[in-house]
Amino acid sequence: MPQLTLEQIVSRTGDLPALPEATLSVMRETDKAEATARSVAQHIIKDQSLAARVLRLANSAFYGLPRQVNQIEEAVVILGMRTVKNLAMIASSYAWFAKELKGYGLGPQDMWRHSLATATAAQVIAEHTRKAPGDLAFCCGLLHDLGKLALHVWLDGSVDKVIQIAIQTGKPFDEIERAAFGFDHADVGAHLAAGWNLPESYKLSMNYHHRPDECPTPDPVVDMVHLGDYLAMSMGLGLGADGMVYALSEGALERLGLNESSLEELASKFLDAWEKSSSMTKELAA
Amino acid sequence: MSSPVLVGMADIKVAKGTGTLTCVGLGSCIGICAFDSSQGIAGLAHIMLPEAFDKNHVDKLGKFADTGVPELLRQMAELGANTRRLQIAIVGGAQVFKFGTPGTAPKMDIGARNIEAVQKALRDVNLQIQAKDVGGNLGRTVTLDVATGTVKVRTVSKAEIVLCNFKGAMPLAA
Repeated sequence: MPQLTLEQIVSRTGDLPALPEATLSVMRETDKAEATARSVAQHIIKDQSLAARVLRLANSAFYGLPRQVNQIEEAVVILGMRTVKNLAMIASSYAWFAKELKGYGLGPQDMWRHSLATATAAQVIAEHTRKAPGDLAFCCGLLHDLGKLALHVWLDGSVDKVIQIAIQTGKPFDEIERAAFGFDHADVGAHLAAGWNLPESYKLSMNYHHRPDECPTPDPVVDMVHLGDYLAMSMGLGLGADGMVYALSEGALERLGLNESSLEELASKFLDAWEKSSSMTKELAA
Repeated sequence: MSSPVLVGMADIKVAKGTGTLTCVGLGSCIGICAFDSSQGIAGLAHIMLPEAFDKNHVDKLGKFADTGVPELLRQMAELGANTRRLQIAIVGGAQVFKFGTPGTAPKMDIGARNIEAVQKALRDVNLQIQAKDVGGNLGRTVTLDVATGTVKVRTVSKAEIVLCNFKGAMPLAA
């Protein structure tokens, strides 16, 4: 593998993800106390393609609305601004994550399935523990593996070797990535998103989702994304060549007040939620 | 050859005579392959979790080991299988590592609990496991060929292996 710095890797990787300006401004707007359905809608309709995708998701069977919604403002009123923010994030990130990532042994749609599953699981955990807003856990879960979109190019052809080292040494995959590159996909994700001015929980959960105990500022969202990622992996949703070669932090469970039995109950709730949330994919792929 | 029947999360599928049943991308989940060679009847259950929390309110019986095993047997009996003479193979139950302790599994792991629960549920109905490919840290895909009784396992990054052949000589449980 080439010995390059994180900055060199990112600058030499083509086709990097970028969040549309409209989505970023929707996120900022929904965080304001004075935000209204109209003010949120105004940010979305600046980007007609985004607005069309958000409307398609809002009208999907998942929400079961009694009638067709044709205006973004109406969607915000009916579904709430936090849900519409989630939809804007889903609509913005689908195209990146639906791609095949050969370096991680992920076929088309696998990364998307894993990202949406982690988001859904993190939201279920947030709603169960009430230690962070569900929509924040969802969006952080959706983006947690962003770094793989850049690093997969550099792993292509060597991932089997990395897996063998990880299994032989009993060390998690991200640790072997760090040994090989000097950084892992979590560092790359946080670096990619640094310019987007996302709230701190996004950066921390991207950076520390495999090592939540090392997070410098305690943040329940980091633990939720860690466990959401664990549940998505356990249920086999978007497993790549790196499989489940990662570590589960029992500290994250304890900090969220969870135990063995509540984790399984959450896994069961997650599966129910997944059945619904995964149905949105066909609206995006259409 | 017709395309394989996909046994999705928490699903149970049974077939007689011909066809292929498959569970794709098993993580901690377990695929239970069951076969009655005298009748040529096969079944595959995609178990997600060890135990139902409330046995009276289970929407999909195949979701849990303790409800999934009896349901698999019921569906196979309905097709005419002799459920006392079923041959069994189990595949899946992968696990993550324990944080900070290389190579060991955490005590609260769904994969290990699933393996235990499936083994117990099978013991409860007096069925023995002929072959298994469980544990480890990688995802697996299992296919069961109804006509030949062959169980194949493909593990990510590895070549496909024949785990057992229910109609032929029985390999010892791994």
